[in-house]
Amino acid sequence: MSEGAEVGLGEDVVVADGLQKTFNRGVAGREVHVLRGVDLRVRKGDVLVVIGPSGSGKSTLLRCLNFIAPPDEGSVTFLGRRLTGEVPRRRPAERLRYERELRYFRTHIGMVFQHFNLFPHMTAAENVALAPTRALGLSKNEARERSHEELARVGMSDKVSAYPSQLSGGQKQRVAIARALAMRPQLMLFDEATSALDPELIGGILEEMKRLAESGMTMIVVTHEMGFAREVGDRVVFMDEGRVVEEGGARELIENPQNERTQAFLRAILN
Amino acid sequence: MTLAYVFRWELVPESAGLLLHGLGVTLQLSALSFVLSLGLGLVVALCRIAPFRPLRALAYAYTQIFRALSLYVYVLFLYFGIAAVFGIDLGRFAAGVVALTLLNSAYMAEVYRAALGSVDHGQREAALALGLTHTRSFTSVILPQGIRVAVPGLVNQLVDIVKDSSIVAVIGVFDLMGATIQLVNTERAPFEFYTVTALTYVVLILLVSAAAALLERRLGRHLTGGSAGPGPLERMRRFRLRGEVPA
Repeated sequence: MSEGAEVGLGEDVVVADGLQKTFNRGVAGREVHVLRGVDLRVRKGDVLVVIGPSGSGKSTLLRCLNFIAPPDEGSVTFLGRRLTGEVPRRRPAERLRYERELRYFRTHIGMVFQHFNLFPHMTAAENVALAPTRALGLSKNEARERSHEELARVGMSDKVSAYPSQLSGGQKQRVAIARALAMRPQLMLFDEATSALDPELIGGILEEMKRLAESGMTMIVVTHEMGFAREVGDRVVFMDEGRVVEEGGARELIENPQNERTQAFLRAILN
Repeated sequence: MTLAYVFRWELVPESAGLLLHGLGVTLQLSALSFVLSLGLGLVVALCRIAPFRPLRALAYAYTQIFRALSLYVYVLFLYFGIAAVFGIDLGRFAAGVVALTLLNSAYMAEVYRAALGSVDHGQREAALALGLTHTRSFTSVILPQGIRVAVPGLVNQLVDIVKDSSIVAVIGVFDLMGATIQLVNTERAPFEFYTVTALTYVVLILLVSAAAALLERRLGRHLTGGSAGPGPLERMRRFRLRGEVPA
């Protein structure tokens, strides 16, 4: 598999169009309409910060972009390739092509989770090397080299042989970032990457993310860290009840929100 | 009060040959049934979580039906019942293995299924997000973790197999129990032989449990967060030294 088509600065990396998602679809009384038509556009090198109250659909939005939770309606266009959540189940050839497209998305979109989701039965180096060998087809040696390289980049050189259970939360998240970066992604998704961390460890991870942004990585960051949003974010979208309520430049939106709900949310979170 | 019963313990060493032969059969029977159940149980468990609905239904039926019968019913049905209708003579040993395997694979399928289901949902998400296929996510990420969780339950099943294997003596398998029954009948010393056999089973089970604890500790090291705590030998030592209750 190729390592990804390069996109010029300012060109679209990902475009979401009318994303809708309902959990427990068809289960009477338990349906939750999480996304109610979300549009999004992120250009090469952009850092888009997504804020909003819990349950507003931020995490689901990220999961729709890499089809971990495929959207019911709408489409995602990533590096010019458009994909919907509709799987062609009945035609094997189309199904195969769909699966290939899906893996193209996922191998080129890195994701960092709130709860790290490291593989507990593998060392840090094995965690990082797994996907490069299994999804990119690198040799064991190449993958090991790359994993050590990526772990060094996040300051984890001395922990390559450590298991996740032997690491602190901050160290786990560093390994998780290295794991995502080892795929050489064109887009990074951060789903509340610091929310499960002890307060004294948050700064280190934010620093790591800032450095990544400065290196030119295209990023979508779901976070409650308004300082980070203002400083590192280019644009901010505020989501509530499955919709984008307000969108704007990071500094303007945070310092001078126009929408009433955005104002209420920011007031609550900043005090 | 005097007992009318005259103990003749000297009969036991004299019959050691037969008993050891029986023990050997018990070990073979148990080991073979265990290995077969391990494999078959996993296959059934995989069918139970397969995306193909009829397969799931079939696997569900398998676990429900084969757990419903006792081993006693199984061996008699397989060895005498089936033989009478179809004229198939499975052979005593084979009938015993099949009976033990059917029953225990059904239990093990449930153990596997529960263990696989206990693996955190985020693990699958992370694997898929990295671009692994569903199959690869399962074999590289979910299965290895599920197996570790399943180990205690699977070993429990081995304990059951070793104990239950005594029942196959009813169709004339010359296992430890079969040998004992024959000796009791010929030597007329039931207390002596049953005692020795009972103790042998106890020792067997204790050995299996100890081996299992060691295995569990080795496998679970990295899943339980930090150090996994003292091992069984260490726990026993502490118990002796300080009267600490073994966990």
